[in-house]
Amino acid sequence: MQRQRSLLALIIVLVIASIVTIAKVPVRLGLDLQGGSQLTLQVKPSENVKEITPRVMEAVQRVVEGRINGLGVSESVVQTVGEDQLLVQLPGVSDPEQAERVLGGTAQLDFRKQKPGTEAQLGVEFQVRQELQAKQAELQKQGAGNEAALAENQAAIKRSNAAIAELFERSGLTGENLQDASAEPAAASGNNWNVSLKFDSKGATLFADLTKSLAGTGRSIGILLDDRLISAPTVGVQFAQTGITGGGAVIEGRFSAEEANDLAVQLRGGALPVPVEIVENRTVGATLGRDSIQRSIYAGLGGLFLVLIFMVVYYRLPGAIADLALVIYSLLTFASFTLLNVTLTLPGIAGFILSIGMAVDANVLIFERTREELRAGKTLYRSVESGFYRAFSSILDSNVTTVIACGALFWLGAGLVRGFALTLALGVMISMFTAVTCSRTLMLLAISFPALRKTELYCPKVPASNQPQAGVTP
Amino acid sequence: MKLKVMKQQSLWWSISLLIILSGLIAMAISWTRPDIKAPLRPSLDFVGGTRIQFELDCAVANNCDQPVNVGTVREVLDKQGLGGSSIQVVGQNQQAVSIRTRTLNVDERTQLQTALSEAVGKFDAKTTQIDTVGPTIGRQLFTSGMLALIVSFAGIIVYMSFRFQFDYAFMAIVALFHDVLVTVGMFSIFGLLFGTEVDSLFIVALLTIVGFSVNDTVVIYDRIRETIILNPERHIDDIVEDAVNQTLTRSINTTLTVLLTLSSIFFFGGETLKNFALALIVGFTMGAYSSIFIASTLLAWWRRRNGQAIPALATSAPAIDASVSSEDA
Repeated sequence: MQRQRSLLALIIVLVIASIVTIAKVPVRLGLDLQGGSQLTLQVKPSENVKEITPRVMEAVQRVVEGRINGLGVSESVVQTVGEDQLLVQLPGVSDPEQAERVLGGTAQLDFRKQKPGTEAQLGVEFQVRQELQAKQAELQKQGAGNEAALAENQAAIKRSNAAIAELFERSGLTGENLQDASAEPAAASGNNWNVSLKFDSKGATLFADLTKSLAGTGRSIGILLDDRLISAPTVGVQFAQTGITGGGAVIEGRFSAEEANDLAVQLRGGALPVPVEIVENRTVGATLGRDSIQRSIYAGLGGLFLVLIFMVVYYRLPGAIADLALVIYSLLTFASFTLLNVTLTLPGIAGFILSIGMAVDANVLIFERTREELRAGKTLYRSVESGFYRAFSSILDSNVTTVIACGALFWLGAGLVRGFALTLALGVMISMFTAVTCSRTLMLLAISFPALRKTELYCPKVPASNQPQAGVTP
Repeated sequence: MKLKVMKQQSLWWSISLLIILSGLIAMAISWTRPDIKAPLRPSLDFVGGTRIQFELDCAVANNCDQPVNVGTVREVLDKQGLGGSSIQVVGQNQQAVSIRTRTLNVDERTQLQTALSEAVGKFDAKTTQIDTVGPTIGRQLFTSGMLALIVSFAGIIVYMSFRFQFDYAFMAIVALFHDVLVTVGMFSIFGLLFGTEVDSLFIVALLTIVGFSVNDTVVIYDRIRETIILNPERHIDDIVEDAVNQTLTRSINTTLTVLLTLSSIFFFGGETLKNFALALIVGFTMGAYSSIFIASTLLAWWRRRNGQAIPALATSAPAIDASVSSEDA
């Protein structure tokens, strides 16, 4: 009895904790439910880059992230999938065409020459952009709800970028001529880092010309990625005669290690003319998603309700107890979804609803056993106990096999499929817990009340000779 | 109610063979049909292409007065050079249209969208649905799905051989093949009759059917194993028949409760889940059927054939029995 009481306490604590969790933590909804675009980008090898290495992927991912920031979407996700694919999720995106256009192109790295007489203006424009970007980051942190402000600010950033790009003229030197860029510690002082560049032979000539014309003028080289200025180094007066020759150069900017690496990755990204192709696009309108949530929730509740009625009608008191356990099961499962940060997709909801149906199975197994024992003339208490005891191996074996199938799905599947496998597997495991502990504890609790000890409540039509006396049960 | 599964085993086997055979015929017909060219009618997920669904914006005055006219849409598509596309008017008030074409890039799609909007009426951007899938993605989905199926079969065999015996595991897998084959066959028939397509969720459904159906089989096998331990002197046919009948109520009730939830998804759930629920309804029903009538009778047949019909005798001389039967075969 002591054990029952502590189990009961545990169950109550778990139920309260789940209700609090469900109320406090919002569920993450998949794109199919909240609306938005999910794009899969295929990174393709090109003549210059014959193999897609993790280093290439890192650079491409950085470029894609930069472009998404340019779109002004909050809570976007960019993930590497497999060896050469990127998965981009853009929740609530209102203009999928624009997104597709922006993401599908190849990054353009361009080295430009600052126009004479624009020195003061560049400083001002740069300042403006910095402020706008800070504001954008702030807005994105606030999350959903201020799309209008985000879009407006985004437009301002775009204008600002265009204004800055206006101050430079093309030199003919582009990312195609850049062979490598990497961060390296500055020789002189401890914490400063530089970014070193390496050009091919044509690039080396162009770079020498560019630096020669700018050396000592105070005007800078504009390094632009997708028409956006990412760095504007100036060239020392000592290079005025020949320019920087040899195809190598170092951008010194008192960078931190992180900043230097960041710039190097951006440059490499721009230096990689790897074609990126959109191989999959799944866009769901915002209200369409809301509609499917609503209908799925109705379906879930409808299904649950039918099962609850069936259990009471067929199994009587144990059925009612199983219903209670089922409700507890639903609460625990849903709470664990939110805690484990499971993204709820439409198939995920299906998996959940399905697991409700399957959660009943364990209870059915137990109650059928209990009835058998009662019909065989055992006492109520013994029947209930052995019902649980003898059904356990069936419950274990049958659920483990389901979890094995889920494991295969999760391991080998992708996207939606994984969501389904995870929710179903979680559901099956929690259902084992609730069937074996909740139903059992509640059953034994029920038997402890003399009024609930009538055999008819458990099993109809037990032969009179077999009917145990209520008082005899321990 | 008491089922005589063993006496009627040839009846149950013929029923299964008949269903599987008609499924195979449907698959063969589908394969030869020029518009399908596959055993099942594949959706966008597997062959690649673009599907766009537009819904008229009813907030605009007079926009929703008439349902979408397929003829107008077809005209627009023909003008865009997308003649062979399939067009379906959907939605409760026929105010939405779903178009499936070859893969369109952004510009082609925007162009189509503008042209359609001019011809049909203003669309509501919030309900637009776009799916573009490259053919490589479909292949990946298919191979990873098949791989998942094989891996879960292997996992189940290993687990069941460990918890039961190898012949139990093997017969359970045969029953699983049966369920998968029947479901695939039924969907091939649906594809021919109603144009039902299979998408990536269908593979998920097959795997779920595997998980659920083996669950059912395991419960019956568990009972058989238990009965054998308690009564090793009884004939395997009696044991199996008893085990099936003892677990029958449970099989029916469990299948019933799952079918209740599934039919609620089928009738009330979102459009995307309809075929998924249907696949599960077919598969689960067949899973229950095969557990009761196929997996059990196959196990008994196998044990009879190997001279293990009476477990108490079989354990005394298993080696001789096994060698004799293998010569027979």
